[in-house]
Amino acid sequence: MNARTTRTLAAALSLTAALAISGCSSEPEGKTEDATPKLTVSGAFMPEPVDDKMAGAFMVITNDSKTPDKLTGLTSPLSDDLQIHETKDQKMRQVASLDVPANGRLSLERGGSHVMFMGLKTKPKVGDKVKVELKFAKADPVTIELDVKDRTYTGQSSNAH
Amino acid sequence: MRTTRVTVAAFVAAAALALTACGGEPAKSSGSVTQITGTGKAGSATVLDRPFDKPDLVLTDTTGKPWNLREQTKGRPTLIYFGYTNCPDVCPLTMSNIAVARKALPKADQDKLQVVFVTTDPERDTPESLGKWLKAQDPSFIGLTGDFATIQTAARSLGIGIEAAKKEADGSVVSMHGAQVLAFSPKTDEGYLLYGESTTVDDYTKDLPKIIKGENP
Repeated sequence: MNARTTRTLAAALSLTAALAISGCSSEPEGKTEDATPKLTVSGAFMPEPVDDKMAGAFMVITNDSKTPDKLTGLTSPLSDDLQIHETKDQKMRQVASLDVPANGRLSLERGGSHVMFMGLKTKPKVGDKVKVELKFAKADPVTIELDVKDRTYTGQSSNAH
Repeated sequence: MRTTRVTVAAFVAAAALALTACGGEPAKSSGSVTQITGTGKAGSATVLDRPFDKPDLVLTDTTGKPWNLREQTKGRPTLIYFGYTNCPDVCPLTMSNIAVARKALPKADQDKLQVVFVTTDPERDTPESLGKWLKAQDPSFIGLTGDFATIQTAARSLGIGIEAAKKEADGSVVSMHGAQVLAFSPKTDEGYLLYGESTTVDDYTKDLPKIIKGENP
């Protein structure tokens, strides 16, 4: 019980600390190296949207290089208006870009930052694939397919057990 | 018991830190949000030390008629959530989790459960759009809209802080949803359990049969 509580407490504190840090950190002025960042995208999914007004998408972008990068935009045949959203304190707001740190990752997870599709051309169903092109400040664009999952799906990387 | 209180206190303190850390906007004091004290974690639920009274709330339902929370949910197990429909992540996730868990209940219990979604963005969530959105999740869900100040007062009385949707300079709207789902007991009509954002469909599936009876999970 004691151990569990302590762990909960620690998790709560570190989670909040992480939030506070990611929320406020100014641009980490990365080492300016010419090497193009090596980016890989994993666990990309879209929970089946409720209607055709909007949908969210989640993924983890890993940067295995010493060069920091930024996710600057996305395009998809599903929508002409894809936005990058950051969520803080139960509020989400659109941002121009999100950092993909050197030797690190950008996690777009449920409850946190996400990609938002506005005005869907069709309403995807569980099992469908949605093609998306990700654009970065330095790396070449990456094309991926999102798996459309149940609305209750939270992704493997989620800490929501 | 004591440690749990410490945990809750840490959460609150940490949340306050996170809120003030960025300091972009002066943290305008958002009135008095009722303090939450929990006796303990029962799985994913927090059992409240001091349960909440059901707010005296009359809003408009998805058919455009007045809906009285206390009257319509009296003696019935009830879940209340504050959210908005232009929300791609947590709001539909929360409602879908509850929808899936509800379907796992025996039919008689399904009919007892009242799930109430109160919009935090009444300007965009009309009775009609709210009705359409909820129907896609579970047609039994009740959607309420109305005056924002009334909604905010009710949310605050349940320890849930929400702010009005705000239009940014670029025309985009920043809305906000509540962080918790509150469960009301059919025995006492009091809000006695609190569920956070990370509550899963399995958690709700496990706890709903208890909530139907007004028991602690």
